[in-house]
Amino acid sequence: MSTAETAAAPRRFALPPELAQMAYRLLAAAIVCVALSFLSDAFFTANNLLNILRQTALLFLLASGLTLVILTAGLDLSVGANVALSACLAATVIKSTGYASLGFVVGLGCGALIGFINGILVTALRIPSFIATYGMLWILSGITYYYMAGETIHGFPPAFRQLGSGYLFGIPMPVYIMVLFLLLGSWFAQRTVWGQQVYAIGANPVAARLSGVPVERRLVLVYTFSGAMAGLASLIILARINSAQGDIGEELTLPAIAAVLIGGTSLFGGFGSVAGTLIGALILTLVLNGMNLLQVNASWQPLVTGVIVILAVWIDSRTRKLTE
Amino acid sequence: MKHLATGMAAILALAGSFGTARADGETIAVFTKNQTNPYFQAVRVGTETAGKALKAKIIQYVPTKPDSIPEQLSQVEDVIVKKPDAVVFIPVDYKALVPAVAKIDGAKIPIVNITDRIASGNVVAYVGADDYNIGLETGRYLLKAMGGKGNVIILEGVKGSLTNIDRVRGFTDALKEFPNVKLVAQQPANYQRLQALQVMENLMQSHSQIDGVLAANDPMAVGAIEALDGANRKAMVVGINGSKEAVDLIKSGKLLASGDFNGFIQGCLGTEIAVRHLRKEKTPKEIILKPVVIQKSNYQPYETPVEQRQCPKLADVAK
Repeated sequence: MSTAETAAAPRRFALPPELAQMAYRLLAAAIVCVALSFLSDAFFTANNLLNILRQTALLFLLASGLTLVILTAGLDLSVGANVALSACLAATVIKSTGYASLGFVVGLGCGALIGFINGILVTALRIPSFIATYGMLWILSGITYYYMAGETIHGFPPAFRQLGSGYLFGIPMPVYIMVLFLLLGSWFAQRTVWGQQVYAIGANPVAARLSGVPVERRLVLVYTFSGAMAGLASLIILARINSAQGDIGEELTLPAIAAVLIGGTSLFGGFGSVAGTLIGALILTLVLNGMNLLQVNASWQPLVTGVIVILAVWIDSRTRKLTE
Repeated sequence: MKHLATGMAAILALAGSFGTARADGETIAVFTKNQTNPYFQAVRVGTETAGKALKAKIIQYVPTKPDSIPEQLSQVEDVIVKKPDAVVFIPVDYKALVPAVAKIDGAKIPIVNITDRIASGNVVAYVGADDYNIGLETGRYLLKAMGGKGNVIILEGVKGSLTNIDRVRGFTDALKEFPNVKLVAQQPANYQRLQALQVMENLMQSHSQIDGVLAANDPMAVGAIEALDGANRKAMVVGINGSKEAVDLIKSGKLLASGDFNGFIQGCLGTEIAVRHLRKEKTPKEIILKPVVIQKSNYQPYETPVEQRQCPKLADVAK
């Protein structure tokens, strides 16, 4: 509704910039959907849309934790390696004890603990997050590869598998988990004091500290949350794929970061939202789904993904200028 | 009495070691591509098993970052300083590691190349199975099982990697022999099980009838099986690598077959050739293992974990 022409005049029907931006992003996702519907008959079917949502859920969970980290102007490069280790430990526990619930606790706990250690590295040791989490990536991969020794763990109880491949009222389980964390994440970031402090730290850590924000504690919290989300994502992956391998989920780190950035969260911190990240994850998933449906040649797929990412972030920064 | 017995044993042992012209205790450096793929684990176990049998010391070199060319290059430089007696070598990349092979050769260390054939260089021998034929035989097995008709999907590995190019070429050549089978989709999943699951989920949306899936490795085959199960659909799936996981799935009837690359035997033979070459014995220049398609009727021997398997005799294989 709000455009550059009306900026000088008193605005009527003007949306707040944040919402206008969100509308643009939704529009971008909608354009991709409409284009794909015309290009492929299989795209706009209930089955395919549920399929896309289920795939988006996984990426969103990882990316939602990352969103908070990036809001503080930090970065967590260890999420993929975290998924691998958490998945392998949880898989071992489920296999050896037969208790899926115990495996669930171990996977989530392992993820959160790794995140907590990242938080300590960043705050107590004052290591830049990029370096700390990059180092953590190597440490975790090393542990996982040593621990798994090239083996795989296969076959989990049906009850546990419901988490990834089950349905409730015709909607896949992971989609409910995605919606839950969308609401939780948005509520935390927009409606709580702590959430607002996270924004403040990203916008200006010095000012935040001077105005009494416990910067270190909030930072430890967001890294722990990011780790816990990796742990949760690892459990959903296990339940979906019914097996674990030393490099499972490793390839998800960059797409998760891309989802956050496409969703309009600034790498410099202080600006963005969990809801935006959901749209970012959705766009990335749509692209893969579309390329599979349209039979895009394997060689071109990485190129297409790269162009879409750059294009999406560019459009996002252009529309932001319009809305401000 | 006891002392006498040990003394006798020691003398006998000494006599034994002088009695033969063979040395032992050679050090063999083994290079593999990564710590994540079960195939390379099987190779490493094969080298250790052969090393034990021949009394040679085995040192493993594996890049910490999977399939890292620069890391393998720097590991080669380390090895040249440490000077092992011989090297058993799987290049991370068959072209990029040519200078590394030249360096090892320049340091007068004999090299046995296994699995991925190096593009050029002076090696004592090459031991491998051929990706193209494994793809071809595994593909033929699936298409025959489908009764020579129906729709199939190919799941590719990492685009541009030598193994993927050859395996997929094998698949497509097998398809040419069955004109009534239609290839409805060919998409990449980068050898990853999760990606294969998602790609398969997507492909099932646009293809209501899929009868067979040709996956370029076992993890992708597992991903495809899980996607089919999730949608309550049935299709015959084949993979490549003959991993333990694949054997279990063949046993339970979920996976039709897996083309075996036999990493364990390649590790065995590569090490044995290296040791025998050092002991100035005659060794074959090249061994290409015949592809084995592991399936319902022949999977039993593959159930034995690699750690408990015996190396085949070099003389039996190299005829």
